[in-house]
Amino acid sequence: MITDFRYRGASVQKKVFIIIMFMIMVFYVVLIIYPLFNMVISSFKSNKDILTTPFALPASVDLENYRTVWVDKGFSRYFLNSLIVTTAAMAFVILFGSMGAYGISRYTYRASTLIYMLFLSGIMLPLKAAIIPLFLLIRKLGLINTQLSVIMIFIAMGLPSTVFILSGFMKGIPLELEYAARIDGCSDFQIYRRVVMPMTAPAVALVTIYNAVPIWNDFFFPLVFLQSNRLKTLPVGLSTFFGQHSTNWSLLFTSLSLAIIPMLILYLFMSKYFIKGMTAGAVK
Amino acid sequence: MEIKKLRKGAWITFFVAPGLLVVSVFILLPLFMSLYNSFFSWNQLISDRFVGLGNFKRLFGSYPYKDRFFNALGNNVTWFVMTMLVQNSIGLLFGYLMSRRIAGNQVFRRIFFIPVLFSIIAVGFLWGLYLKPSGLLNSFFNLINQPDLRQVWLGDERLATLSIIFVNIWRWVGFPSLVFLAAIDAVPEECLEAAYLDGAGEWKLFWRVIFPLIIPSITIITVLTVIGSLNVFEQIYTMTGLDGAPNYSTDTIGTLFYRTAFGSVDSGSPEIGIGSAIGVVIYLLTFCISLASIYVTRKREVQL
Amino acid sequence: MKLKTVVVLLVVMMLTPMLFAGGAAEAEQQVSAPVTTLEFWTWRPEDVDFYASQIAIFEARNPDIKVVQTAQKNTEYNTILAASLAGGAGPDVFQGRAYGGLATFADSGYLEPLEPLMPELKSYSATSLLGATSPTDGKIYGSPAVSQTVFMYYNKAVYQELGLSIPTTWSQLLTNFDAMEAAGYLALGNGAKDGWTLETMLGGMGPAFYGGTDFFNAVVAGETNFLDPKFIKMVEKMKSLTAYMPEMYMGIGYEDMRANFFNEIAGHLIAGSYEAAYFAAQNPDLDFGIFAVPGESAADPAYVSVYADMNFAMNAASKHKEEALTFLRFLSSKEFGKAMVTDLRMVTSVPGVDASQDPFIARVLELQKNATPYLFLVGFRYAQPTGSSLWQALAQGVMGGTVTPRQAAEEIQAGIASYYKPFQN
Repeated sequence: MITDFRYRGASVQKKVFIIIMFMIMVFYVVLIIYPLFNMVISSFKSNKDILTTPFALPASVDLENYRTVWVDKGFSRYFLNSLIVTTAAMAFVILFGSMGAYGISRYTYRASTLIYMLFLSGIMLPLKAAIIPLFLLIRKLGLINTQLSVIMIFIAMGLPSTVFILSGFMKGIPLELEYAARIDGCSDFQIYRRVVMPMTAPAVALVTIYNAVPIWNDFFFPLVFLQSNRLKTLPVGLSTFFGQHSTNWSLLFTSLSLAIIPMLILYLFMSKYFIKGMTAGAVK
Repeated sequence: MEIKKLRKGAWITFFVAPGLLVVSVFILLPLFMSLYNSFFSWNQLISDRFVGLGNFKRLFGSYPYKDRFFNALGNNVTWFVMTMLVQNSIGLLFGYLMSRRIAGNQVFRRIFFIPVLFSIIAVGFLWGLYLKPSGLLNSFFNLINQPDLRQVWLGDERLATLSIIFVNIWRWVGFPSLVFLAAIDAVPEECLEAAYLDGAGEWKLFWRVIFPLIIPSITIITVLTVIGSLNVFEQIYTMTGLDGAPNYSTDTIGTLFYRTAFGSVDSGSPEIGIGSAIGVVIYLLTFCISLASIYVTRKREVQL
Repeated sequence: MKLKTVVVLLVVMMLTPMLFAGGAAEAEQQVSAPVTTLEFWTWRPEDVDFYASQIAIFEARNPDIKVVQTAQKNTEYNTILAASLAGGAGPDVFQGRAYGGLATFADSGYLEPLEPLMPELKSYSATSLLGATSPTDGKIYGSPAVSQTVFMYYNKAVYQELGLSIPTTWSQLLTNFDAMEAAGYLALGNGAKDGWTLETMLGGMGPAFYGGTDFFNAVVAGETNFLDPKFIKMVEKMKSLTAYMPEMYMGIGYEDMRANFFNEIAGHLIAGSYEAAYFAAQNPDLDFGIFAVPGESAADPAYVSVYADMNFAMNAASKHKEEALTFLRFLSSKEFGKAMVTDLRMVTSVPGVDASQDPFIARVLELQKNATPYLFLVGFRYAQPTGSSLWQALAQGVMGGTVTPRQAAEEIQAGIASYYKPFQN
């Protein structure tokens, strides 16, 4: 494309600008990769080594810690539970969230701002603040010690920012496209599904990863609502490495290294939607 | 006409109701139940009697709540200003550069969000290691023979908040980058090409063509920054502790709220009434500022 | 249609966990028909194995009771417990906090008063009972389990190497510090990044200067207050120790200061008795001893600060109080107390346990002969702003040089006086 930043053939001034910018971005990449690397090497070290020589390479790379965490500490089960909870919650966050955003941004009516603010007010205070009433509610609904309790809470926690971000993007889609689809005989749901959703794919991808991470990493609500060992999620398993006066950093980093893998995969998978082309194709 | 209106109403309900129901039941209901607590005086965990605005009066009028609250609020303002100025500007720059296909952009867009994927526990511990007195940053200053630049990044009252904000920017700058990238990518290419062929310079192209068209995403980022800045909690909790050490210099209304409402294991007992009152104030502040920024930016939106 | 598949998949996914949950409940019911299951919570994830082995002993003796242990994360323990108890659920038996932490739950009516159920509590020491008593109604709500003592740890090997002996005056202590610095060791490993470790520091070095139990009793009664010159002098002495602390001590957190000591970088550390097991685990070769920090003259008593740390409590809403009591009795037995000493190296509060086999515990008990209450926790952690929260923050200000000792004392006084009746006259 002619608007691309190309080094070749650019003016000197522009060349300098491109080089400086490129260096800054590479520097940031280093700042990201190093802690990731640091986390993984720590998983091969003993507690003492982590505390005394945190930046040194491990003496040897053996998978003993991983075996301990995965088998002895029961993380295979926790991992599966986390996958179930996060997938179920995220699917509904995206479905209800995009629908809500569509209902707010693609129609003009008086109450739209009110509904918008109602959704948005769900992120204005952390839900942790309301843990006691929430506990009473979940107990009344008979959901204590079921995965449904945290799934519902996570859906509710993810919806506000999803509605908020997606409605911002949906607003930007030209109305002509909608008219064209309507003339073709599409129902409102089909317009949502066939026209608006594909055009907001990058934003949907972004929102997915934006919400999946806190849900995947949240340990507070599972800790409160899932007491049974067979239901515990990965972050709850992690919290058992924190003693009152001693923390098992070694196993903690092992499980942190394991825990980041599904999120990395999800992100790499989603990042392909950030690439232009797809949306451009839908417009033309 | 009536039927058409009815149909429209039905469709809106169909789209909005499921989400709104879940949010109302599982967030708004418990939240308001807990904010209602602010009108009562509390004997430990049991509500005692209705005191009206008594808790608010104590919060804003008596030592040490008043001092703690405004000290914390000041830090939240610092968070907001720094995040807007530094994180979101860099995000806009990165997003713009990536949208213009700067060399390596395919790699960058696959990496920039990785810090967000880290569990906050890992972020807190690793950056604690980098910023501690004998940590990486100070060692680096030793290495380049500038030992005077070494600082107690997390233990100095003047620096601690800024250090934590820096770590938070490290963690989150990828988010505005990708939001702006998605927004700029959605700008029809014809607009850009036309302007480019008209001979508009880089500067003009950005401010005159791209910027007005990505206002909705700027609204998104601004409002999320407002909410994020007023809700800062975990970052403080993992790096300097629930008490906003040292000497409350990193305290925010989020940590103040949690500490007041639930007590801190190492130092406190709970005071639910005043805690809830702080919650109400956070809620109202966030609500009003968000609404204001939505209105301000909406005025500048351009419909294609 | 793709969306349909997604939705179907989701519904299936949402149903699977419920199937699991249902199946689990059924399985538990089959086993538990004649057996009562007790929920038992602790805030000690590091002691899970210990409690599991003790529970096994208990269950072998009481085949009709099954105990399920859950170790919660210490920092979230109070919140989760509060939510569960307020919601009418929660464990049957659990580790309870002491002093103000106990009062929070006791005054809310969530704890069962234990004196009528366990007359043997009368034989416990007054110090340990105080931590398990609500100041509001004077009833005992916990069976005291463990007390903690704060003192000075020192590295015996370094003392031997440099020919030092345990100091009997403050100036001797400083001479020892100087000798260590001269030999290339760090004299005192403490840092100031985590405020609560400064409360520990106060407990370790403060009482000799502010006057120990006499001052404690006077200040609690309101006969003196924190503007007392002795208290301010103590703060000044504490500040003066920064000369012997690590470079950039304001950035040295809890993990770092302990590492300083167990890695033998620092020769001294002011810390609590709960560290001994951790030091031994981290560095089995470490040869450490303990002493009480002396006052200015050898005639001044060298105090250690003591506080009740943990007790075992019963949920007032428990459906199995009889069984809970049986378990509580087990947790209060001499046998269990002994196990706490040998396996966890903790100072049990159960009277009559012979701890002389463990030289460290024996030494702690010896130092306890000159014990004084841990000032802010025992006296002023019942309402906000607690003495602890005021001290921890202001002590950081003092150590960092942004607050003078006098200002710190004034603010502590003002903060506590905002609710503490004896200070309001």
